[in-house]
Amino acid sequence: MNQLLVIVQIAGRRCALSAHDVKSVIELGAITPVPRAADFIAGIAALRSQSLTVIDCRRAIGFDAAPWPTDDRAAVIGNGGHSYALMVDGIEDITTATGEPGQVPGGFGPEWSRIAAGMIETATGPALLIDLPALIAGPDTPRGEIEVAA
Amino acid sequence: MDDLLAEFIAETREMLEASSGEIVAWEADPADRARLDTIFRFVHTVKGNCGFFDFPRLAALSHAAEDALADCRAGRRDPDSAMVSAVLAIIDRIAQMVDAIEAGEELPEDGDDALIAAVNDPRETSANRGQDGVKEGSEPPLHAPASILLERAEDSAAPARRNEIAAAQRTIRLPVELLDRVMSGVSDMVLARNDLAHRLRQAGNQPTIDGPFERLTAILSDVRDAITRMRMQRIETLLNALPRLVRDLSADLGKLVMVDCDGGDVELDREMIETIRDPLTHLIRNAIDHGIEVPSARLASGKREIGLLAIAARQSGNTIAIMISDDGRGLDEKKIAAKAVATGLVSPAERSAMSRDKLLNLIFEPGFSTADSVSNVSGRGVGLDVVRQNLERVGGSIKVSSQPGQGTVFTMQIPLTLSIIAGLTVEVGAQRFAIPQGYVEEIVQASADALDFTRMGEAALVTFRGNRIACLMLADVLGLQGTKTAAGELTLVLLRLASGDLFALAVDRIDSNGDLVVKPLAPAVMKSGLYAGSTLLDDGQPVLLLDVTNIAAQHDLVSDGRARVLQPAEDEAAAPGAAMLRAMLFTDFAGRRCAVRLELVQRIETTPLSAINRSAARPRVVIDGMILPLIGLPEGPLTGDKLRLLRLSDGDCELLHAVREVEDAIVLYAPLIPVPEDPLVEAMTLIDGQPVALIDAHEVFARHGEPPEAAPGARPRCTLPESDWARTILAPLVTSAGYTIVPQNSGDPDVVAIMFDEVFEAAETLGRVPAGPVIRLRDHPAAPAGSATIYRYDRAALLGALAAARRAAIAGASRR
Repeated sequence: MNQLLVIVQIAGRRCALSAHDVKSVIELGAITPVPRAADFIAGIAALRSQSLTVIDCRRAIGFDAAPWPTDDRAAVIGNGGHSYALMVDGIEDITTATGEPGQVPGGFGPEWSRIAAGMIETATGPALLIDLPALIAGPDTPRGEIEVAA
Repeated sequence: MDDLLAEFIAETREMLEASSGEIVAWEADPADRARLDTIFRFVHTVKGNCGFFDFPRLAALSHAAEDALADCRAGRRDPDSAMVSAVLAIIDRIAQMVDAIEAGEELPEDGDDALIAAVNDPRETSANRGQDGVKEGSEPPLHAPASILLERAEDSAAPARRNEIAAAQRTIRLPVELLDRVMSGVSDMVLARNDLAHRLRQAGNQPTIDGPFERLTAILSDVRDAITRMRMQRIETLLNALPRLVRDLSADLGKLVMVDCDGGDVELDREMIETIRDPLTHLIRNAIDHGIEVPSARLASGKREIGLLAIAARQSGNTIAIMISDDGRGLDEKKIAAKAVATGLVSPAERSAMSRDKLLNLIFEPGFSTADSVSNVSGRGVGLDVVRQNLERVGGSIKVSSQPGQGTVFTMQIPLTLSIIAGLTVEVGAQRFAIPQGYVEEIVQASADALDFTRMGEAALVTFRGNRIACLMLADVLGLQGTKTAAGELTLVLLRLASGDLFALAVDRIDSNGDLVVKPLAPAVMKSGLYAGSTLLDDGQPVLLLDVTNIAAQHDLVSDGRARVLQPAEDEAAAPGAAMLRAMLFTDFAGRRCAVRLELVQRIETTPLSAINRSAARPRVVIDGMILPLIGLPEGPLTGDKLRLLRLSDGDCELLHAVREVEDAIVLYAPLIPVPEDPLVEAMTLIDGQPVALIDAHEVFARHGEPPEAAPGARPRCTLPESDWARTILAPLVTSAGYTIVPQNSGDPDVVAIMFDEVFEAAETLGRVPAGPVIRLRDHPAAPAGSATIYRYDRAALLGALAAARRAAIAGASRR
């Protein structure tokens, strides 16, 4: 109920990340590009002695990053023993959820449905709750599991 | 699981590992009390621990073994092989049960009673058994009766034993995860320190801060070393289990094998130890099954009945070499060849062109096994190819060498650790990448003409030392755009894969090299198959570590068939290459374009002008701490502060040729036209339509060459009279004549002795004339008639005598 959420803008939409998953928010320094990797991987960056895989969330969902501004801050999350930095349009605020995640009639559209855990009401309005493993997996991953969840 | 239980399992495991080697050693020498005590302590501890938990079967088993061992300790019973086997069987069962307990499964099938009976059995008949044994001579008691008498005294060993246990507990068990956390913490500290160092440098010199900062740096590097070592484990933990394995295998196969482990104190990353456990076991199985012959065959071929299996671990730099050698029948070259041809690995023609060494290493090819019948020991479908694969996965390699009838040696090379490797940082485009140093064979500039960089369709080839090898453009491999460095400006990193294949990777330039702490990459990045990990450079920037093996595989550079097919062709290609006349092209200070045969050029040196001395008639230059003749200098004073020199060598002497500019290594195709009028020029030839003078090496070395200041041992030796005059005035002269001064009374016939005439005469009358040639000196310029002496200030005569003695010594040496 009182789940803390980090509200971010991805491809012009309001999205929510569970604050529990977000380890920190960092200023993205130099990013080392990774040639021949999937294009949603912006590169690797260093957080102290750790290396972070920088994920461009717009591309990870299946959009083009170009039309959107990019925040120079990124949210750091951990998944499967690796750390990722999420590149987004902007990081807005931390807020509390005022309800459980739910679905909207008609779905969120094919790209969004794959990475959405549902819609969540927050103190500052509704947001799309992101399913992090699905986001990190990138746009080319079969969406079987996500559809099952939906 | 209950912590206490986990502790029990871990402790039991540890003791199992430690004691398995002991048991075999004990069997070999049952009188060895220390071993017996160790094993006894193990079963005793297990029994005791079982009291805390409800493991009645474990308790019964350990109790039975303890009883039997206690009898041995008390001398009531002599350990024979049946009993050792029974005790071993119980220990095995204990290990199985511990595994089952940890997995939370039911304990394995009941069979404990049989085991307990086996270990107890002989005791019931022990009363008459001993006598029977003596009569038949089949199973003599292994304990001497005297040891029984000593038995009581042995009880005093009990307190000492307790101390040992206390000592053993000075170690603690830690989760690897915690170690990793500490390690990454230290890495963070190192980066923070680097950052701080950077800022301090910017702020300028601050003595009050610099001191403590230096100390911090030193402490940090200490801590870092210690942390790195924390992950290390002695390879002993792996070797300890081997005697037991060897014993069981050899018993199964009816062979006698003695095992000799060496180098147990070599330390290795604990994860690496796990990685090599299976390959090592496999090789040992192989050695015993296929290598070592049955005792009768060994005796027939004049060897000792007992085969020797030696396992040695050695550390050299960043790698560990583990040698597994047996003194068995060796690998059968014909059989391997026949098998390789039969399975289509090589064609008969290739086979006949292959060296023995190459042929033997075919056994690591996939789908190869020489065993005619599949025994239960080796040949379980896991071949040596899997061994090689497993080792290559962690950046190791394996090779085999063998002498027929003498034995076989397998050599495994493995990196010390997975997490810290020596690496080379290269730059391509604007980006840096790291390459594990282990793969790097050599670094060459692509501009060198000898490399003969050619494009064949999309592929690129270079000729390196007469071999044509594939060349990958790193920029193309990575799909980097806009990095079209001209082919001539590329730097080639020659990489040798574990399989022996060589290929070149073209990069823009080499950045640096050093130890890299490798971090794993996220799966999405790994998917590209080009990277093995990431690492942070000193400036905190992350770089990607290239997965060299995979990159080569993606470009079909490791297919084994192809490497072999190419081999003979390369040899042929090398032959005409050797006949080609290659030369180093340069411009001398007179502005002439000259060439010198490439074979003569040792190196291109760049030296500061301060290293050149022109005070003598001939200029000299100091290179690598040696004073060498220098030719080719311009008449006037030198400008600039550095000089380029070609270091030429005829094998013995070296000299340096100053050049204005080194151009390139070239192949001389045009005919050579002799130039008799200039002795220093061998011939003129055309290169790109321009005349070039080829230096006459014979003349140059004849005129300017000086034998190098060889090691003292190679120079003629000389003894001097005992006087200040000799030490201060005579010695420099003798030394400059090329002699080394040695103490007197060496008695060596090669040593020239310089003596004052009166001393010589005294020695002559005493019959103690030096063995070698003698130069006699006199004090007065005027020589007495018929005297074979030299006035001590007659420089010319002295030098003449020394030179003559030297020639005689050289002639003498060449006669021998």
